[in-house]
Amino acid sequence: MAQKYKPLIFPFSALVGQETLKIALLLNAINPGLAGVLIRGDKGTAKSTAVRALASLLPEIEEVSDCPFHCHPEDIKEMCENCLERFKAGEKLPRQKSQVRVVTLPLNATEDRLVGAIDFEYALKTGRKRFQSGILAEANRGIIYIDEVNLLEDHLVDILLDTAVCGVNIVEREGISFSHPSRYILIATMNPEEGDIRPQFLDRFGLCVSIQGINELEQRVEIAKRREAFDQDPEGFLARFKMKEEAQRERIIKAQKLLGKVKISSKLLNAIAKISLKHRVMGHRADLLLDKTARTISAFYAREEVQEVDLALACELVLTHRTRAEREEREREKTAVMGEGNNQANQFEGSETKSEREAESSGAGVEQRAELRSQSASERTAQNYPGNADDFSGRAQEAFQEKVFGVGELLPISTKEIKFARDTLKRNQSGRRTATRTSNRTGRYVRATVQRFNNDLAFDATLRASAPYQRHRQKTHLAVNIQEPDIREKIRMKKTSNLLLFAVDASGSMGTRLMSETKGAIFALLLEAYQKRDKVGLIAFRGMKAELLLPPTNSIELAKRFLEELPTGGKTPLGHGLLVAYQVLKRELNREPDLLPLLIVVTDGRANVGLDREKYYEGPQFGEIYQEIYELCALIRKEPRVRSLVIDAEEKRMGSFGRSKKLAQAMEAKYYILEEMVKDQILKTIESELK
Amino acid sequence: MREWKVFPFSAIVGQEKMKLGLILNAINPRLGGVLIRGEKGTAKSTAVRALASLLPEIEVVRGCAFRCEPSLPSKLCPECQAKLEKQGKLETERVKMRVIDLPINATEDRVVGTLDLEHALREGEKKFEPGVLAEANRGILYVDEVNLLDDHIVDVLLDSAAMGINTVEREGVSYSHPAEFILVGTMNPEEGELRPQLLDRFGLCVNIQTLREPEQRVEIVRRWSEYESDPEGFAEKWRAEDEDLGKRIQEAKKLLAGVEISEELLARIANISIALCVDGHRSDLVLMKSAKTRASFFRRSKVLEEDVDACIEVAFAHRMRRRPFEEMAIDSKKIEEMLNRQSTERASGRY
Repeated sequence: MAQKYKPLIFPFSALVGQETLKIALLLNAINPGLAGVLIRGDKGTAKSTAVRALASLLPEIEEVSDCPFHCHPEDIKEMCENCLERFKAGEKLPRQKSQVRVVTLPLNATEDRLVGAIDFEYALKTGRKRFQSGILAEANRGIIYIDEVNLLEDHLVDILLDTAVCGVNIVEREGISFSHPSRYILIATMNPEEGDIRPQFLDRFGLCVSIQGINELEQRVEIAKRREAFDQDPEGFLARFKMKEEAQRERIIKAQKLLGKVKISSKLLNAIAKISLKHRVMGHRADLLLDKTARTISAFYAREEVQEVDLALACELVLTHRTRAEREEREREKTAVMGEGNNQANQFEGSETKSEREAESSGAGVEQRAELRSQSASERTAQNYPGNADDFSGRAQEAFQEKVFGVGELLPISTKEIKFARDTLKRNQSGRRTATRTSNRTGRYVRATVQRFNNDLAFDATLRASAPYQRHRQKTHLAVNIQEPDIREKIRMKKTSNLLLFAVDASGSMGTRLMSETKGAIFALLLEAYQKRDKVGLIAFRGMKAELLLPPTNSIELAKRFLEELPTGGKTPLGHGLLVAYQVLKRELNREPDLLPLLIVVTDGRANVGLDREKYYEGPQFGEIYQEIYELCALIRKEPRVRSLVIDAEEKRMGSFGRSKKLAQAMEAKYYILEEMVKDQILKTIESELK
Repeated sequence: MREWKVFPFSAIVGQEKMKLGLILNAINPRLGGVLIRGEKGTAKSTAVRALASLLPEIEVVRGCAFRCEPSLPSKLCPECQAKLEKQGKLETERVKMRVIDLPINATEDRVVGTLDLEHALREGEKKFEPGVLAEANRGILYVDEVNLLDDHIVDVLLDSAAMGINTVEREGVSYSHPAEFILVGTMNPEEGELRPQLLDRFGLCVNIQTLREPEQRVEIVRRWSEYESDPEGFAEKWRAEDEDLGKRIQEAKKLLAGVEISEELLARIANISIALCVDGHRSDLVLMKSAKTRASFFRRSKVLEEDVDACIEVAFAHRMRRRPFEEMAIDSKKIEEMLNRQSTERASGRY
């Protein structure tokens, strides 16, 4: 294919602020052993711009000029087979210098492009199988860059994790059996509001940086000015910063030369060990990284011996994403000493939080100072992210403490009573929640399969499958002769949304407290649904019938409005509630066969109005009404895609009639008691249901 | 065959904000497109097509699938680059700007581009088959009901819109090409919202409603029936105004590069962003570019305070940090207060 289109890139040295980010990137340019950077930040904070800008600062390396894997001409250990053979045969491998490569892995990449595949054209022409290298080959000894890495398809992440471990890409597909060296560093960006990445994947990144928007007036103005100047005249702008870029490149090269000579004292090595232990970091990787990072930092500052301040910065970069589990504990330990970790422009040379300065003056040891450094960094992470999972609990609580009460016929209730403990709400990804293989032809094509389902032809894979046999097949008027066994189909993945259908008992028997607790629970779920783009529907049953107050919608705002205005009181037509729920579910499933609905019934079970609304049941006749209720439950139970949940809103202190429990059994639904859930984790429950 | 006459832009009643948003983007595509939020039947699609038809012709490389701009060698697609190197110059022609519709069930391979089936079968060679993003280069990409699109498609659209480039690594194809287009998205907020990250990537956002004034409503019906019964005559009636607008846009484009904005106003913009607690810096950039663009539209080479103020709403409507349930609207009172405060500060010399 023709060469790539490469637009002009905003220069690195023209970036304003974000010193920590810049340093993290430069350190990786100096020392690839630091294993890359994960950049977490709000939208619009120059994450992608910075990484792309880095590419032009990267130093040159020696490589074999005709090797697709860019092998080093002398490093026997890391050479590919081909280069090794030639080397052993005494050939002097042709060499050239070229810049370290940054290869972009787009989110919608397919496996064949990442891993490599059979060279279709070559096979067609010569009838021989040849490996066509993919991104993993191109990026060997270079950098793979992924934007919005938290949205990357799971199976691609798996491939990246695999190759990370052994540094070799092993390909077994389409009749090809091949392996080649694949050592690269990952630089990726993500917006934490959209969810996090798997812990194993997180660990793959050596360093992690969190960035936010800058609120300082002058810097903001400068950012706007520079961006505009670049947009209007990119060549001119680049010329303006040419000297600075050169200087930066020089600095990197000098640092590389110095790196091997940098020494670290045993005192600091001990400090490293202590810090890692204290933070209960997994394994020893962090220790090694801290050592390497600290020394690289020294080299960057042209120092031959690592200073405390170097180690402090290293801690901030290396530990932030490795000690999540302990963050809660540290938060509990924290005192007023922590102060406001709200430093925006993170000038690392000078930025120390109040706590660090205090520790400094109180003569605290090296470890403590370095530790505080990384603590405040993760403090910043925890506090300043609007969407950070841990932070969300505080926010969510605020949200419905303000909003839940004072509507309709509710009595004003002290907000202190309601606390929905939302612990670590693991949001995997934003956007549609659950990944399903779709049977219709929608969704993203992720890979091909030899199995036949629906004639959704994967043409590229089919071509490749047919390629090796062309020589032996009869020539037709077409260049390619495709036979039945060559045919490959597409496997598509689509994140379908869930439908959270609430059937809520709004009768008088649900006390005001219960009603407000229920609403609170639903509100919290709406917040969750908003991020995940789940659909939400609301059925309320009271008086003589059930009403679909809110047909399934993505509009959480509407849902909130209806919920707020939900009036209560009257009898309990539970049966009708279930019937309406069933009808809504069927309708939605017809429309979207891949939907995964979750029915959440909130009631105390005291049904007293049957489907035949003329009859009102009381006392021992409950048995009668429950006949029809059980039949309705059976209907729901028989729907394979529907999962249900029953939340028992009965006040248990008076003893229990156990009706809701029986309801749950009849529906084969999970059963929870509202009172208990309020104390524990009501939402965690439903969260796990939705997985 | 007679050319189908599009409803004239100038004949659209009301919806000044939407028209402004579209005009600004037509003058300066780097604004990042416009998201139009509103109910059905509010002239969204009509306006976009009307705009496209009054826009001036553009110069393209003859025969190029991406409609490359011959005067910008740094933005040529790989084929045009190769041609330029071989021949030393490129053949050009003038064409009208296109509006490309993105169908709601578009699949990724159609949007991004894929392996050319025919070519592979016939010649046994791999060739890139351009998709919608290629067709939209240097044109307008109109995405109706953008909130109902599959997430991964929206991601791809916004990525290209932001970077101006489409990178393809799939289905055996490795290719990249320029993808600069004016992105116009529409949606009905009652059917669900876009993710905040996607919202932020739209340059401007306009909330529109059905007109409530009876006179305006009558006028809409009157004009539309006139148009339907005689599109030619109706178009002729409004031709002069449309041509004027087209010329104005052309002139503005030429003026734009020379428009200056004072430090004071830049500071004002930054202050507004800070006060409205927006995430990131896109808002500053967009507001600044919009103000400059508006100035050029009004034939000024210096940005005035009124330019900045007129664009605040369209630049910020979709960006303010909010908890998911808050109404997405600019509190105009708050802005007034803030702006007043700033003027008094300046007056008192504290600025």
